[in-house]
Amino acid sequence: MDKSTIICRCEEISYEEIEEVIGNGARTFDDIKRLTRCGMGPCQAKICTSLVAKVIHAETGKPFHEIPLPRMRMPLSPIKLETLATSSTSFSTVKSVLDEVELEDGKVR
Amino acid sequence: METRFETIVIGGGVVGSGIAYHLSERYKGGVLVLDKKYPMTGTSGSTQAWVWVHNKTPSWYAEFNMYSAELYPYLSKKIGDVEYKRTGGLSPFFSEEDREKALKLAEAYRKIGIKIKVLSREEVLEKEPSMNPEVVGATYSSIDGNVNPFRLVDMYMRAAKKNGVHYSTYNKVTEIEKQDGKFTVVSDKETYLCKNLILAGGTWSRELGEMLGINIPVNQLRGQILVSEPLKPFLNHTISGLRQANNGEVLMGYSMEEKGFDRSTTLDVIQETANMALHYVPSLKKAKIVRAFSGIRAMPEDGYPIIGKVPGVENLYVAATHSGVTLSPLIGTLITELIMDGETSIPIDRYSISRFGVGVKG
Repeated sequence: MDKSTIICRCEEISYEEIEEVIGNGARTFDDIKRLTRCGMGPCQAKICTSLVAKVIHAETGKPFHEIPLPRMRMPLSPIKLETLATSSTSFSTVKSVLDEVELEDGKVR
Repeated sequence: METRFETIVIGGGVVGSGIAYHLSERYKGGVLVLDKKYPMTGTSGSTQAWVWVHNKTPSWYAEFNMYSAELYPYLSKKIGDVEYKRTGGLSPFFSEEDREKALKLAEAYRKIGIKIKVLSREEVLEKEPSMNPEVVGATYSSIDGNVNPFRLVDMYMRAAKKNGVHYSTYNKVTEIEKQDGKFTVVSDKETYLCKNLILAGGTWSRELGEMLGINIPVNQLRGQILVSEPLKPFLNHTISGLRQANNGEVLMGYSMEEKGFDRSTTLDVIQETANMALHYVPSLKKAKIVRAFSGIRAMPEDGYPIIGKVPGVENLYVAATHSGVTLSPLIGTLITELIMDGETSIPIDRYSISRFGVGVKG
């Protein structure tokens, strides 16, 4: 890999960009992700995980088994929003901000 | 590395780094920021990052948020592009009952000079054509917007470092002691000495306070968010519940759960979030969701920020709050004023930790 090698294809993040944030103290895949967007695109780090581990290893000397994996999250593969929706029309955990406006004696506090 | 600093900030998230940056603009004494991991591992890196004023009550608290939102355009000129956009904020409602509430909110705000409008259905659809046509109306505030939280914290850190602030990350604080007018801060890597100590531990404020025998009553409140693939720009406003980022992805969610530090994402809340997003913006139904994530809000026991000096412990300051993204420019400015001038340009007595009773336990 040279400095211009693209590590994250989805977000087009190069070796050099990752090297820079490691220089600023980033140590894990997720640190690097938040600072560069590496791994935040459609593939959600499926392609770049091991490449980033190689960069971390090369730059910090950390053994591979000590480099944590990125945190994977649902839905793992892109899925349409309507597929996640249900027929329910009531909300419990999800709020509207107006729900939070409290009235006291018919007035806003 | 140096171990003596004039000031140490514990916590490098949006609040701690905001303070460090604002201090570094005026202050030439040594400043060190300590973070147990890397900044943004916690709350500051898992947020929709609205810069949000309206719907916050009571009105004096909304006013406090407004002062901070007003600092954003200037802040982004100083520290660089943080993708701040003053989009205007829109909170849709779907019942006439909510319109009554919205009108009362607008009236309460008018008294303190915050302008919010209560829009009719037609006005909402004109401003935001993708909104569900069943909408009844919305509250609208022109000062609301959003920012890229990753850029924001990174730029705070870069600007602070450029002004001489030191950072030590992956360096958890394990013990704090006050002796002979100085704080001894013991961490995984080093023992430091400082004159001023600022606790900006966010969700971890309680355990930081306990090291000094102080009760900082901050709880955890989980929020779960869905992220779409990048879509062509189509949302004009920050809608309470969803917003579109510069790269086109839409962030959706507004949920609250008391789950401690558990950062799981759960199917029930993901489904409810999908329902909310489709209820507001039906055309999102074919949009692909690429990720769900969750973040833990730092929620002071009574819901309001805890900011200022800690009574009874000289040179100890605390800054613990939710809405850290919105409030960070103002909190950074105020803590800097407290340290440099001994007083603040706007009153902050209301936010003192003393409202929870005696600061120091026992």
